[in-house]
Amino acid sequence: MTQVEKTVRVAILSFAHQHAFGYAGVLQRMPGVELVAIADDDAERGQAAAAQFGTQWAADFREVVARDDLDAVVICSENVRHKEMTIAAAEAGKHVLCEKPLATTVEDAQAMVDACAQHGVKLQTAFPVRFNAAVVALKQAVKDGRIGTPLAIAARNPGTLQEGWFVDPALSGGGAVIDHTVHVVDVLRWMFDAEVTEVYAEIDRRVSDIPTDDTGLLMMKLSNGIPVSLDTSWSRPKNWPTWGGVTIDIIGESGVLALDAYNNDLEIAEVRTPSYTRNAVEFTGDPEMVTAFIDAVRNDTEPLVTGVDGLRALQVALCAYESARRQAPVPVVTA
Amino acid sequence: MTTGTRSANGPATAEELRTRPVRFAVAGAGGMGATHARNLAGSPEAEVTWVVDLDLPRAEALVADIGGTATASLDEAFSAENVDVVLVALPTGAHRIGVETAAKYGKHVFCEKPIARNSEDAEAMVRACETAGVTLMVGHVVRFFSEYMRIKEILDAGTLGQIGMVRASRLVSPVMERSPWFADVEKSGGVVLDVMIHEIDTLRWFFGEVERVFAHGLSFTEWHTKRDYSMASLRFRNGVIAHLEASWAHSNFRTSIEISGEHGLLRHASEDSATVTFEPTAGIDYEKGVRPGRAYLRPTVEPPHLRELLRFIDALRSGSPAPVDGREGIKTLNVANAVLDSMRTGQPVFFNEDGTVKQA
Repeated sequence: MTQVEKTVRVAILSFAHQHAFGYAGVLQRMPGVELVAIADDDAERGQAAAAQFGTQWAADFREVVARDDLDAVVICSENVRHKEMTIAAAEAGKHVLCEKPLATTVEDAQAMVDACAQHGVKLQTAFPVRFNAAVVALKQAVKDGRIGTPLAIAARNPGTLQEGWFVDPALSGGGAVIDHTVHVVDVLRWMFDAEVTEVYAEIDRRVSDIPTDDTGLLMMKLSNGIPVSLDTSWSRPKNWPTWGGVTIDIIGESGVLALDAYNNDLEIAEVRTPSYTRNAVEFTGDPEMVTAFIDAVRNDTEPLVTGVDGLRALQVALCAYESARRQAPVPVVTA
Repeated sequence: MTTGTRSANGPATAEELRTRPVRFAVAGAGGMGATHARNLAGSPEAEVTWVVDLDLPRAEALVADIGGTATASLDEAFSAENVDVVLVALPTGAHRIGVETAAKYGKHVFCEKPIARNSEDAEAMVRACETAGVTLMVGHVVRFFSEYMRIKEILDAGTLGQIGMVRASRLVSPVMERSPWFADVEKSGGVVLDVMIHEIDTLRWFFGEVERVFAHGLSFTEWHTKRDYSMASLRFRNGVIAHLEASWAHSNFRTSIEISGEHGLLRHASEDSATVTFEPTAGIDYEKGVRPGRAYLRPTVEPPHLRELLRFIDALRSGSPAPVDGREGIKTLNVANAVLDSMRTGQPVFFNEDGTVKQA
């Protein structure tokens, strides 16, 4: 006889980040989960999302987090607003899954971690790449010694040029570097149980007229001595056949493991509206990440990705900006 | 001086070189030297009259195939009357003696890359050639690959607009397993001076001078005798940010380049553009899960290693500067050595506007 699982009731705070649509879809399909509300101060956006996912809309997130019939929130607001929403949810005793980057300053991220700890709620940073099936397999292959000792890593997380609040530093905290440093840094911290100890970076706005950086190259050192390069650039034109991706090449003593986590396997060329795209048939990572959060809430276990993980990854991105300003390598102090 | 003939110890003139195949002495009958010698011997524009190698039987085996005289003496070959151009394909540490000897006998010189191990040697070589009035070319062959020539045209036409991120890689198998001298980083410069120097030179050709360099890699770690690998961040004076990757830690040879600009993105990868792929089945080991690597080939009517020599011959016959001269070779070498220095010190290396290293 199977035990009836306790229903976990979730609200999504803001659809400012497009990832909210993916998370909402996963929550909607997940047994034992109820999407009880969507809060969004953009009424049009919030109402449309509520209609799409068959739930209620409220303008004020504070009204939603105060509800008695709510266990957890998923925060997909502008980066700079993660803090107030997380702390409000924590004070109301609601668990938090927060979009990356966790915040725009280390102080804000620390305040979020502290508030969640103080109020006994879970804080998970939304790092779906860790849950991608290929990334999980890569970690296993390294652990199994397939390439002997790992010696160096060349990684990239390129994407298409962002727009809207993503390129307003007052709301996003930065451009391509804050947006695309954190995923790969989180994966490497997890894969090698190591910290980034130093970062050197070249960062600039080169290929667009947005107010933030669009081009970034980070040269890092891990605490286990392995050097890492990471390209965070928003270098994919709108009409490039793929959106970007995450690649990690691990050069080892007896071989090379090369990850292309979102390799796009289906090509379509359309004639009527001339276009050529390559997309992945299976997009893994998001469902597994949301499921892990719900499991942690339901079973009262520590999330696989914590708030501290989000803070550490953010710290590396912020050190990269500092390095680019100083034109010198910058130590990442994690003590 | 009579036209059409050689003045004593004077370099061959453009005019006389237009009248007949250009006669080469090839110094070094190893991998590159043999490739060049065979390309020259197969061309109606050139002739190989001498092959020099300290390993005399190796030189003799080559001339048995392509003609000419074998010797173990640079002086004997370079001083010979029937030599117009010396091709130096010796180990890097011997480039200086090769080029200086050629200049001494008034012979034009083609020198394999890198021009030298350090800039002092390179400067002396360039001065020796200038003093002797001979033309010096450095073999930065990537500038003669059709793909990279086309990319240069696209960049110069402004098709991509202002350039942002550039990624260029050259991945090679661990060469030190068959040529142990490469494992001696002080002598050879490791994977940076042998492999990454191609991308450094090509990107300098595309984007001009470098402002600063920062790099990571294995050349100064305990691993360097088994595997060498380097990643470098180059910031060009025009603002371009480049990531260079050079490896002696992969299995199959391959290269790639990607250039992101405000008006578009360009990508070329050798394994995607092969016109002939060789997939051997011999050597499969099912138990160990080992499969032999594929070879990705792109045969051309004018191979780049021949093309660079033909363009050198064109320059000599028209009295023009060499397509890649000694000063270019020095600037490229200085950036490569800055990559090594950054790997050694963990600090960025900055350049002056004239391409010299800024002292801290």
